[in-house]
Amino acid sequence: MTLIAERPEAGPPRPWSFPSFERREVAGGRVITCHLPGKPLAVLGLVADAGAVTEPRGKEGVAEIVVRALSEGAGDYDAYGFAVAGERLGATWRSHTDWDSLRCGFEVPVADLVGAAELLAVAVREPRLEEASLQRVLAERVDEIRLDQSQPGPRASSAFAAAVWSSECRYALPDGGTAETVAGLTPDDVRSFHGARLRPDAITLVIVGDLDAVDADAAARAVFEGWAGESTEATAAEPPKARAEGARVVVVDRPGSVQSVLYAGHDAPNRRTPDYVPMTTMALVLGGMFNSRLNYRLREDKGYSYGAFGGFDARRDAGIFVARSAVQTEVTAPALADAIAEIRTMQETGATADELEQARSYRAGVFPINFAGPGAVASGLSDLVVHGLPDDHYDRLRQDVLDVGLDAVNAAASKRLRPDDLVSVVVGDASAIVDELRATGLGPVEVLTDEA
Amino acid sequence: MLTDVPVLPDYPYTLETLDNGLRVVVSEDHLAPVAAVNVWYDVGSRHETPGRTGFAHLFEHLMFQGSTHVARNDHFGLISAAGGTLNGTTWCDRTNYYETVPAHHVETALWLEADRMGGLLDALDQQNLDNQREVVKNEKRQTRDNQPYGSWLDLVHTHAWPEGHPYQHSTIGSMADLDAASLEDARGFYSTWYGPDNAVLSVVGDVDTEATLAAVRRYFGGIPAKGQYPPSPPSDLPALIGQEIRRTVPDRVPVPRIFVAYRCPPFGTPEFDALELAAIVLGGGRGCRLYKSLVLDRGLLQAPDGDVTSTWPFVAGATVFIADLPAREGADVAELEAAYHEIAEGLADGVSEDEMERARAVHTSTWLHHLATVDGRADTFSQFTTLFGDPGLVNTLLPRQLAVTGADVAAVARDFLRPDNRVVLVFEPAGDPEDAEEVGE
Repeated sequence: MTLIAERPEAGPPRPWSFPSFERREVAGGRVITCHLPGKPLAVLGLVADAGAVTEPRGKEGVAEIVVRALSEGAGDYDAYGFAVAGERLGATWRSHTDWDSLRCGFEVPVADLVGAAELLAVAVREPRLEEASLQRVLAERVDEIRLDQSQPGPRASSAFAAAVWSSECRYALPDGGTAETVAGLTPDDVRSFHGARLRPDAITLVIVGDLDAVDADAAARAVFEGWAGESTEATAAEPPKARAEGARVVVVDRPGSVQSVLYAGHDAPNRRTPDYVPMTTMALVLGGMFNSRLNYRLREDKGYSYGAFGGFDARRDAGIFVARSAVQTEVTAPALADAIAEIRTMQETGATADELEQARSYRAGVFPINFAGPGAVASGLSDLVVHGLPDDHYDRLRQDVLDVGLDAVNAAASKRLRPDDLVSVVVGDASAIVDELRATGLGPVEVLTDEA
Repeated sequence: MLTDVPVLPDYPYTLETLDNGLRVVVSEDHLAPVAAVNVWYDVGSRHETPGRTGFAHLFEHLMFQGSTHVARNDHFGLISAAGGTLNGTTWCDRTNYYETVPAHHVETALWLEADRMGGLLDALDQQNLDNQREVVKNEKRQTRDNQPYGSWLDLVHTHAWPEGHPYQHSTIGSMADLDAASLEDARGFYSTWYGPDNAVLSVVGDVDTEATLAAVRRYFGGIPAKGQYPPSPPSDLPALIGQEIRRTVPDRVPVPRIFVAYRCPPFGTPEFDALELAAIVLGGGRGCRLYKSLVLDRGLLQAPDGDVTSTWPFVAGATVFIADLPAREGADVAELEAAYHEIAEGLADGVSEDEMERARAVHTSTWLHHLATVDGRADTFSQFTTLFGDPGLVNTLLPRQLAVTGADVAAVARDFLRPDNRVVLVFEPAGDPEDAEEVGE
């Protein structure tokens, strides 16, 4: 047996920068085009300032219903006709809403880009929004949320939101709404949100792919030409407000569970926070890589879990920090205590120079992999729109990551992690775990029992 | 200058077999400065011995615990520090390991793969085994035992293949067998199955073919061939199940959900190609028959995230065609099942050219999407070289499948999507999972 003992040296790094793109105005609409040579599929999508935070109070979940309703019949097409028209082009419809945006569009062979744009235009400009189909979409969505919430991970996520945020702010409910809020929506609510938010002035069209042989302007004209109307200002949402009730534990009883899903975290800064790079680089060391402290402790050291993660979700208005895992029921209390101890240690003593070096080189190195295709590039460009970031954002971010120092990272750990404010949510078999959780001293324990 | 954007895949590649039997595929793609390294070992849960179900997958975890020159956390540590991503997976027909890295780090990935291909036993110890056994048991809990409908996969394996068939158990295995796995099992499994002449290595991306082949020879060339591997476990079985097998499964779930599995010819046969297209006509995308009838017109089926029907790409003896049918709240589950069967069996009465055109377009885009990234392509090169000895299928499989006709689809529907060839699992909401038991045949 001859194995090479010596680890190879890396070759010289090859230059990479975020693909160049153009912001333009076509037929009065905002358009971003990005030429990526050699890719057989293009992405044509729109991003609208119509995310969950723009929903009127009491109408939580309506943005997701609107984006679904777009493909349920538009112009001359009924729902089935629209699906077939796209699929005959080999175009795949994708739609999505999150806190800060609504997105939809097609992945399509480049040759059919303009055809797909015509379909997208019909969907967004002339959706039928008929009573019967809206009633069906609403009912399906309620079923889907119930199905989703029957899984322990999504149940933990919604319980965590409710435990962290004050009930009057939008963040206290999932971005897609709850079964109750969606069940309370009417077809008129859906039409009204579409009319108020899906207007040309609130939309940017993003086109990414091999654009050499296609007329991207024609695609953009198909979407914007002759489309008038201004969006209505979204009702000023309540500013995000954490409950700020100190460290505590919320158990969601799920009898018979063989694992407990753990969430532990608190509110955090928004995307514009000046220490965004040090804060998120610190989070990689804590819980964002395989060799991060949380995964090492809970998985590779203790064998409690298949994996443990932690990090920040920095939204436009505010954010959260959360560490999460799913652990064998028997070790629920020690696993939660271990996770919280890792957060506390990071807050108190910070990362080491070696850990930072690994996090930096990982994060900077992975850019070309993460932006390898039209879908990822289109998504990155849409994020620029959502957060109002400059054209050179990704190249600058990469450089900032390479430049970030240990002092800044540890200052962020000290300031942005708040172990005494950690809200822990545990979805599991309460009868097997509550006594031990009480004994940990991690804070008062509240038990929620879901309706069967 | 116009770029030549292919309508069908036309990816270049070189296949070389080293003296020790390692098959190496290199495919250059200079669009981005990244490279994917992918190793398939021709061993999966199909090769497990009785009493050791789940072992191939548990063993996969041990491959990340270090080797002769690689410390315990260095697989993840070195690739992460290079700015790369990595993982491994196990399924019935294979175990694969892969890294995607900035291209100037490709030799690091090759070195890591070579070291564990040749030198795992130096690092394998009881502590690693015990730790990863617990990790895998938690993986099973997280992905199966603690999930609503979580037993469906196991039940398909148990009932769609006969007793003793290598696909009759699922890849995750049983808790009892995982508990029984010993260090001796691990040494034996490695010594039996892990060698260069039972593996395929693919490198795709911003690399030079000759330089890459030279590096592969340097890192892997010193690993001796084993020369001999056990014969594949016998996988012959009747083409059809011969009856309907029905199981009702009370579970802690919000709505009933039906899974239907049909036994059908394996991946690599013309019938399988036709069944892939049948899955799109019947239940792929939103312009398919099942979506139109059961979701849009009748409101019986919960709109699925993905496709309603699909095939599994298994190669030994027989595979399955699966339908996944979650009921709408309040829908009559018997009505849903009857409506489904009528539509599925109706495929045998004929398929229009319009439907075939849609199915071909959907299939083409799905396939182009799969091959669009260097990592997806590297995995596919490894897959086709391992299973069929032909990396060129990356380019030729799609045209072959696009030649499937409506008559072909109707024929496989008639032959395989039939009542005496199906397993029907009906999950029903039940109060307490402790009371759950299987009933009925």
